Amino acid sequence: METSQETNTCRKSRVPGLFWQFFKFGCYTFGGGWSIVAQMQKEYVEKRRWLTEEDLLDITSVGRSLPGLMIGNVSYLFGYHVAGFPGAIACVTGMCIPPLLILTIVTWCYTQVKDNVYVSRAMVGVRATVVPIIASAALGLRRAALTDRFGYLILLLGFVLYLFFGMNCIMIVLLGGLLGFLLSGWREQWKGGPSDGTP
Amino acid sequence: MVLLELFWSFCKIGFTSFGGLSMVPLINHEMLSHGWMNLSEVSDIVAIAEMTPGPLGLNCATFAGTRVAGFLGALSASLGVLSPTFLICAVAAVAFEKFRDSSFMQKVMSGVRPICLGLILAVLCSLSISNYAAPAGGVSLPALFIGAAALVALLKFKISIPMVIASSALLGLALIR
Repeated sequence: METSQETNTCRKSRVPGLFWQFFKFGCYTFGGGWSIVAQMQKEYVEKRRWLTEEDLLDITSVGRSLPGLMIGNVSYLFGYHVAGFPGAIACVTGMCIPPLLILTIVTWCYTQVKDNVYVSRAMVGVRATVVPIIASAALGLRRAALTDRFGYLILLLGFVLYLFFGMNCIMIVLLGGLLGFLLSGWREQWKGGPSDGTP
Repeated sequence: MVLLELFWSFCKIGFTSFGGLSMVPLINHEMLSHGWMNLSEVSDIVAIAEMTPGPLGLNCATFAGTRVAGFLGALSASLGVLSPTFLICAVAAVAFEKFRDSSFMQKVMSGVRPICLGLILAVLCSLSISNYAAPAGGVSLPALFIGAAALVALLKFKISIPMVIASSALLGLALIR
């Protein structure tokens, strides 16, 4: 992207607007980051035409493939793309402040009423839904996570190591990353091996 | 120093997950190993984080941080969970063209995603044991019924998660004694 003097001042003037817009995104979003991406698409691709559909798609896929909160990554990359480093900070802080405030209040209320008889009865019902919620999310992740047979093996390995061997979560995830790296490197070589390996 | 511990815990959670509910196994592990929460409170975080706006990881960080050390705890947990964004994304944003087809990251993630799914399934097992147990011992049939109803509502009728949680609270009020 070219940055002449003129577009530079124009990009700087975007920062307060970005903060406010992402503050609003942060208030409206329910259930994860995809709805924020949809709102970004409406606001910045269709209405303001600050970036193209492909730009947003690239930002989303890079943000998704990096570790951490997907929507934090996407906000950062988007803000950086349209208004440089100040824009990135404005987007991330704007997006994070509403959930931070709301959750602080909710947690305070939860602590106050947790031991009430009726509340704890209702919470038994609520807890009963957590397993189905996570299960249905896991079903949704299945397509992205399990691209081949190795995926199922790695899944089984993670399951067994965690549940039966009580291995540290972080070690398991790092092991998964290492296995993924080695296996895809090995697969590439195996595929490309016979054709350009031996003369 | 509990604030630093919170920050560091959520750093680890942020760096070793890829968003959404894949954070639950790590949150579960960190909360239990520090003695900050028990299994049913971890379930409560997930339900509360799903019902309130904002990304799940951030909501969990705020909830856990507030529970452990008040508003400052919430701040340091949130900063922790955002640290991969500020570190890795900052590099990625500068070298964005290179990261567009970041084959290294894609290779690594091709192993991280399935292993996280395995962890999620493992946590589902331990959460099931805690969430469907009756206080007197054995299985709580009303809780099992609510869980089955929620599963059908989510998968078959595509009812939104906040709606499912709200109705299950009412069912709990009616059925649990």
